[in-house]
Amino acid sequence: MADTKPKTFFSGAAQVWRSQRFLWLLYAVNLVLVRSMTYETKERVSKILDHRLAAGQILHGFDLGAVISLGTHSELPFLGLRSGLLHSSLLFTLFMLFATGGILAAYYSGDRLKAGPFFEACGHHFWRFFRLTLYLLVVLLPVGLLIWRAGIRYNHIDEQSISPFAAVHFLEVVIIVILLLLICIRIWFDMAQVIAVAEDERRMWKALWRAASLLRHNFGSLLWLYLRVSLIAWVVLALGLHFWMYHLRPESTGAAFVLSQFLIIFWLATRLWQRASESIWYREHQRAIAASAPVYDPPPITPHEPLTQISM
Amino acid sequence: MRFHIALFLAGVITALPPCYGQVKTSSAVASAKASVESTQQTLSTRVVAYQIDARLDPTKRTISATETLRYRNLTGQSQQTFPFHMYLNAFQPESTFMTESQRDNPDLEWKKEHFGAIRITHLEVGGTDLTSQIQFIHPDDNNAADRTVMQINLAKPIPPGAEVEFKISFEDQMPQVVARTGYLRDFFMVGQWFPKVGVWWKNAWNCHQFHQNTEFFADFGTFDVKLTLPQNEIVGAGGDLVSSINNSDGTKTLAYHSEDVHDFSWSASPSFTDVEDSWTGSAGTVKIHLLMSPGNMSTAPRYMQALKGTLGLYDQWIGPYPYDRITVVDPPHGGVQAGGMEYPTLITADTSWFVPKGSLLPEAVVEHEFGHQYWYGMVATNEFEEAWLDEGINTYLEVKMMDALYGKGKSVFNFPFLQLDDDAEQRATYLLQPDTDPITRFAWKFYDDSAYGAVTYGKTATVLLTLEKLIGEETLRQALHTYFMRYRFTHPTGEDFLKTVEEVSGKDLHWYFEPAIYGTQIFEYKILDAHSEPLKWYEPEEQGSKPGDEIYRTYVTVQRKVDFVFPADLKVTFDDGQSVLEHWDGRDRWMRYVYDRKAQLVSAELDPGHQLLLDRNFYNNSYVVKADGRATSKLSNIWSFAGQLLAQLFAWLT
Repeated sequence: MADTKPKTFFSGAAQVWRSQRFLWLLYAVNLVLVRSMTYETKERVSKILDHRLAAGQILHGFDLGAVISLGTHSELPFLGLRSGLLHSSLLFTLFMLFATGGILAAYYSGDRLKAGPFFEACGHHFWRFFRLTLYLLVVLLPVGLLIWRAGIRYNHIDEQSISPFAAVHFLEVVIIVILLLLICIRIWFDMAQVIAVAEDERRMWKALWRAASLLRHNFGSLLWLYLRVSLIAWVVLALGLHFWMYHLRPESTGAAFVLSQFLIIFWLATRLWQRASESIWYREHQRAIAASAPVYDPPPITPHEPLTQISM
Repeated sequence: MRFHIALFLAGVITALPPCYGQVKTSSAVASAKASVESTQQTLSTRVVAYQIDARLDPTKRTISATETLRYRNLTGQSQQTFPFHMYLNAFQPESTFMTESQRDNPDLEWKKEHFGAIRITHLEVGGTDLTSQIQFIHPDDNNAADRTVMQINLAKPIPPGAEVEFKISFEDQMPQVVARTGYLRDFFMVGQWFPKVGVWWKNAWNCHQFHQNTEFFADFGTFDVKLTLPQNEIVGAGGDLVSSINNSDGTKTLAYHSEDVHDFSWSASPSFTDVEDSWTGSAGTVKIHLLMSPGNMSTAPRYMQALKGTLGLYDQWIGPYPYDRITVVDPPHGGVQAGGMEYPTLITADTSWFVPKGSLLPEAVVEHEFGHQYWYGMVATNEFEEAWLDEGINTYLEVKMMDALYGKGKSVFNFPFLQLDDDAEQRATYLLQPDTDPITRFAWKFYDDSAYGAVTYGKTATVLLTLEKLIGEETLRQALHTYFMRYRFTHPTGEDFLKTVEEVSGKDLHWYFEPAIYGTQIFEYKILDAHSEPLKWYEPEEQGSKPGDEIYRTYVTVQRKVDFVFPADLKVTFDDGQSVLEHWDGRDRWMRYVYDRKAQLVSAELDPGHQLLLDRNFYNNSYVVKADGRATSKLSNIWSFAGQLLAQLFAWLT
């Protein structure tokens, strides 16, 4: 059976560390996209704030009134910010779709892929992963329907219940259920991607089928593998944000930038950690299957005897 | 003076033939005397005396009641026609209220639970049944389907000084809460629930239809109200509880009495928790009842602290609170439409099961609604026609009191990472719609509900905050105190208020009131230009010259961008540490200041005291020579972080 001992978990982290280039590549693309798509907004805001004493209300502390005033300024400095952030998100998603093939190839093989083979692997798997994403959207439809139905039920409970907590507790349960469902779906599709890369499987429905079977038989270990890393990501993010909001001086723009980017890099790294752990898990799982498969032992060859002796 | 007139009138009435059944000729003198004597002892001129006996059916959500209204004709004229407000009829789809609500909110859905109505089953005056004489009128918009004002013509006119007694039986169908009044699950907020006579004001009946943006206007008097309802109901009301009797049918009858008020409201729920306390001020002890809904108990201490703080500041700054009680009703979850409302000696608050300590919104609501006990409750202005006199003045004082109680700069949100001051919130509200309507517009004639809110609350508060720059905060407070003490328990107008401000300040302020209160002019000043250059600019720069050797000419030009003229201070700071304070009257479109000195400009700032809150753009009020991009970087960090995280969340799909 697949090795679910801690070394898979730590092997994943080690793999991410060894292949840091992927992390820095993704981070660079992430940062450049957001910054470039919001550059105009920054210029407009700069024009309003940089030579103004009123900017101090934003710098020293964070006066929401000053930010609202800025937002409603006649020069509309925040115009285009929302679309900029959305466009950068979509482009980054597309890039991730492209890069995942090469990243998984490297993680699964354990080899250090050079740029050429890396991008070749990216291109080789891109269309397959695009199709997988479409399948994912289809799979998410019933989840969306479940969320919608839960919303109706929540409203009904909230309307009928004298105490607000009945609906609150219902919402807590729904959130946990939906989160677990989404995690399971993500693990399923992650493993499908690993199978597609490992087995060079072109048929994504087949990869999904095999991944589903894998998940069914190894649900606990795969879930724990994924969940551990997610928990670490959320805890670090929460601690980081808490420190940023409550302990960093409002004027510390440099320290805030460093902290925010550390949190982004860490979040990205944990996602790569999950991918690496899954790849290693699958590789070890395949080896274990190969090792435990029965070996055919043919009988020994005996010397040839005459077929018959004919008596006259 | 009132005593002699009353005696004369009493004599005239006594001499008349006793053909007016509704006029108490035999006791006119006695009642006039008693009225005058009671006027001398009472806080208000009591025009009305309501006696209401009501029974609540919580299952059907109905109230069956009888009302006896004794109306004193102090109009100085005979009256034969009397209009009544029938506010609950607003909760019908074709009413003016709902039509206007749908006009401003096209997505508004009508649900049958929102239906509310008040139906008169019997109306009698002086033994004559006038039920069939009831007419619905539409003085504001000719909406024949609107039934929020009914009119009754009496058989005979009521002479001036006389009393008339109306006996009315009516039934209420309570709506599920849409606005202010109604039910939600086992909670009832019962306001504007009985036929209420209009006000004779400025020589005519003032009884407007109920609109989306209007509130209420009524005469002072007394209320004796009996409420019969199930014994498990916990009740809060705008009156003193006189008696409580358990009935054999499982109900109880609570009797309330209230004096020198112009309305009576009440709330009931078996799920309330009653938190009691008291506060003592210059007028005596005030009993406090907080009726808390399930899930909100954690806010009770916050409500109490805010209420006591506000009671204290009003007592100190404006005048005594003369009543012996105040009830705060906390609506249940989902009942926010019943929250944030005021009635004499009863207010409704607004909170949620979780409100972090850094958000002072529950406190602000309690502060604001209590403030209405003064502005509307005692200074009973016409909320239909001059809503700014209660909402605007109250909002101004809300800003001042929240600052005093919770700290300037953080009186709405007070988190380490984010602050919001109440004056900034009101200014932001005003700037949402700064130029569609003047403050003085009749409430129902505003462009829409957003404009009504922006101008009546936000702009009025901002105008008064800016007024402090002209007359001083202390003088304005003194003016409000004088206005309150002079006009409490009466129906003053906007002119009365503005004249009081001018009187107390000793200044002619019409030039400010004209654009600010009566007009829609926008206010914006800016630093148009600010720079320094060598005086002998034509000579090459000397090698090795030290700072302070050369003379620089500094230009600072200020501009009034639009039409609102207002004096402003200008502070110019130089790199030798010196600064100059100029005073600009703002009359011309621009003004240039020139300085020759051995120092260069560091910064120029209009309104360094940050008092001209009406200015719609603070950012162009200053100029700093040396750029500081840290604020921009701070914002950029935040949106970049959010954007990067968002991108990674999207990438979850891959």
